[in-house]
Amino acid sequence: MSDQALIQDLQEAIGVEKVLTSLEDRIAYSYDGTFEQDLPDVAILPESNEDVAAILRLAQEYDVPVVPRGMASGLAAASVPFGGGIVLSLTKMNRILEIDEENHTVRVEAGAITADVEAAVEEFGLFYPPDPSSNEQSTIGGNIACNAGGPRCLKYGVTGDYVMGLTVVLADGQVLRTGGKAIKNVVGYDLNALFVGSEGTLGVITEALLRLTTKPRAVRTARAEFPALEDASRTVNAILDAGVVPATLEMMDETAITCIEEAMGLGLPLDVEAMLIIETDGSDEETVLREIETVARVCRESGAREVIIAKSEGEREQLWRARRSVSPSLARKAPNKLGEDITVPRSAIPEAVRRIKAISADYGLPIVIFGHAGDGNLHPNILFDKRNEEEWKKVQQIVGEIFQVALDLEGTLSGEHGVGTLKRPYMEQALGRLSLDVQRRIKGALDPHGILNPGKVLPGP
Amino acid sequence: MSEPIEPSTYPPAERTAEDEYLHCIRCGLCLSVCPLYRLTLNETDSPRARVALLRAVREGMIEEPSDDTAARFFSCLLCGACTFACPSGVTVDRILELTRGEMSDLGLLPEPLVALSQRIAEGHNISGEPNENRLMWADNLPDRPRGIGKEEAEVVYFVGCVSAMFPRSYSVAQSFVELLEKADVDYGLLGEQEWCCGYPQAISGEPDQARGTMRHNLEAVRAMKARTVVTTCPSCYHFWKHTYPVALGEEIDLEVLHATEFVADLLDADRLPLRKDMREQVVTYHDPCDLGRKAGVFDAPRRILDHIPNVTLVEMPENREGSHCCGGGGNLESFDPALSEAIAARRIRQAAETGAKTVLSACQQCERTLFSAARSERIRIRAKDIMELVLEATA
Repeated sequence: MSDQALIQDLQEAIGVEKVLTSLEDRIAYSYDGTFEQDLPDVAILPESNEDVAAILRLAQEYDVPVVPRGMASGLAAASVPFGGGIVLSLTKMNRILEIDEENHTVRVEAGAITADVEAAVEEFGLFYPPDPSSNEQSTIGGNIACNAGGPRCLKYGVTGDYVMGLTVVLADGQVLRTGGKAIKNVVGYDLNALFVGSEGTLGVITEALLRLTTKPRAVRTARAEFPALEDASRTVNAILDAGVVPATLEMMDETAITCIEEAMGLGLPLDVEAMLIIETDGSDEETVLREIETVARVCRESGAREVIIAKSEGEREQLWRARRSVSPSLARKAPNKLGEDITVPRSAIPEAVRRIKAISADYGLPIVIFGHAGDGNLHPNILFDKRNEEEWKKVQQIVGEIFQVALDLEGTLSGEHGVGTLKRPYMEQALGRLSLDVQRRIKGALDPHGILNPGKVLPGP
Repeated sequence: MSEPIEPSTYPPAERTAEDEYLHCIRCGLCLSVCPLYRLTLNETDSPRARVALLRAVREGMIEEPSDDTAARFFSCLLCGACTFACPSGVTVDRILELTRGEMSDLGLLPEPLVALSQRIAEGHNISGEPNENRLMWADNLPDRPRGIGKEEAEVVYFVGCVSAMFPRSYSVAQSFVELLEKADVDYGLLGEQEWCCGYPQAISGEPDQARGTMRHNLEAVRAMKARTVVTTCPSCYHFWKHTYPVALGEEIDLEVLHATEFVADLLDADRLPLRKDMREQVVTYHDPCDLGRKAGVFDAPRRILDHIPNVTLVEMPENREGSHCCGGGGNLESFDPALSEAIAARRIRQAAETGAKTVLSACQQCERTLFSAARSERIRIRAKDIMELVLEATA
């Protein structure tokens, strides 16, 4: 490949100012939310479908990899340009194209920041429920490409559940439109589902039509403290059995509680094995209140030592503060953290936590566990200093063991972060050969030259 | 190389600025609060990229920093919004201030800053005019300020280069001095013995020069036997309060106050009688970065507004720690005036959206930037320094 010729062609096709080639610019596009890094040959900021199509045609012609990127807060190195090539940053394609108040949909460009979309539809009394905790620093396109989840997904589901249609620029530069505003749609294969979670390996998502609901008018929050982790875990089912589907059901185990308390001093109890933060929401204040009271009763019956229901917005804020303090607390404890994202069946949470704690003890490195108890999605965070080679080696071994715990308990590698490169080595074990073979054939059909985010998601044959 | 000066002293104190960049976990949360990134949507302009760039310099990915490398460290507002948002507590603005010094040591100081350093070295102020002109702002006051020529005073008003030397900002100094006189404060002005506070030199890689000028100022204030130094400029305030003791290596045995704190105390003590017949008005208040986020002065200006009759304060959604830079921070104006203006335009629109007819600030730089933005955006809102409003309100 002739770098210079490609860059010149790119500049001619879409404009000089959208093509960044200095070393300083390339460094800015060399990383994501992990500690992985590699320099692209060029970073491009397209502003339209036509720009993206032109870039992909040239990439195919020059046989150069293209790594699509939103705000690069991903946690699996999916947007790190290993081995160089083109980083395609969609951040400037951030327009909100249409809010359809009657049909409750919003059409946005892929680079729109998730929190901005949430705010825009709320002005119309509408609600976009997926709430990855990175909603301020991630884009809708990135959320779709990784099928991001969040605390609210027990009741409301994940990003993919809200995708009704997509505009995707294919590897050869053709622009594909999938889905539409019709809620029921079984004509042909579900191509929306194909691109959701594809991490930029099948096409470049440039626009999305998203489903909305009406904004819940009332919300109530409770925090429950459990001396025994098993009880906390049992409680989740007991709440659902009582007919309440909470909007969120967050769990922090004692490693997380201790870590937060050490860093922040919020006055959390240090003699419990788990805390749950539970929220109910809905259109009717009385119903929501009744539901949270049911939740509180069930918690007590299932072994909670104390349950606090927030009576005001201020008190609600207080209850959430513990959960929101997790990240800063981790950062204060060690220079590096590796946050895993395994999921297990709900009933296996206590066993998973027990096994992860044992791994932590074996290796002598702290692992802090929190997660979304309602859907069995756990975030064990390993704390370490990457400059210490011995610790780094241990971390890599621990990761393998944590994945093994998930698979042994009939769970899987990732609930919402995605595969990227970090989980690739474990894919065959998680999915089996045939599943990978089918996926490789899909990849081959859509990207015959292998220019779209190569080396991500699927391991080599 | 001489010992650099750390212009900002934030927690966490246990980390040295040297290895601060190692604590960036690249989560990207800073992007959401960075006024520059929000405008350009280009990662290059983000705090995370600047930290990554510093790391690349330290770890050899950039073998030899170029002018282009240095430019990335200078094209930042130093507003500190990222520092407040960072879950790891990485003080990006502190890192950049230090890195600017390093770039200067490598001979990579951008031209406008080289010229600025020369002006300060030659004339002891940022304007390029002789320092004898330090008191020209007082010429068209009805009475000659009593603080001029005093040998001793309880309080020294440290005017700062901008309000002293740039006619556009004279009114800040004039208003404050009139208030001091009305409250019968025993104050003095240093006149040509006031030199630049040292902040511009410290962040341009001239630590020894900066220490010289700081030492001079401290001795001049001590010679007046003053107990208090008060400034209207938030940057002078921040620098006097947080950097002087550290950089000079001694307790400076002086109370350092910003004019908003000083006036709020005067009002609390009933030493500034106010008119009851002020017209009804709705105002909003813009927190200057150096006064608010960096020095923690949020309540004093709001206390002042509580005192003034018939004035209603409506806050912008981005206020206090979450304040949005006026666009005038970090010398960005010298490198990229268009970008600086675009940031100012965004802030003035936020101010106008509150419905206020006046946006107040407590910084001559913010006032000027917001004033120009209102003009160029054709938004009917007045930008004013809070001292001017207090003066209007005094009987």
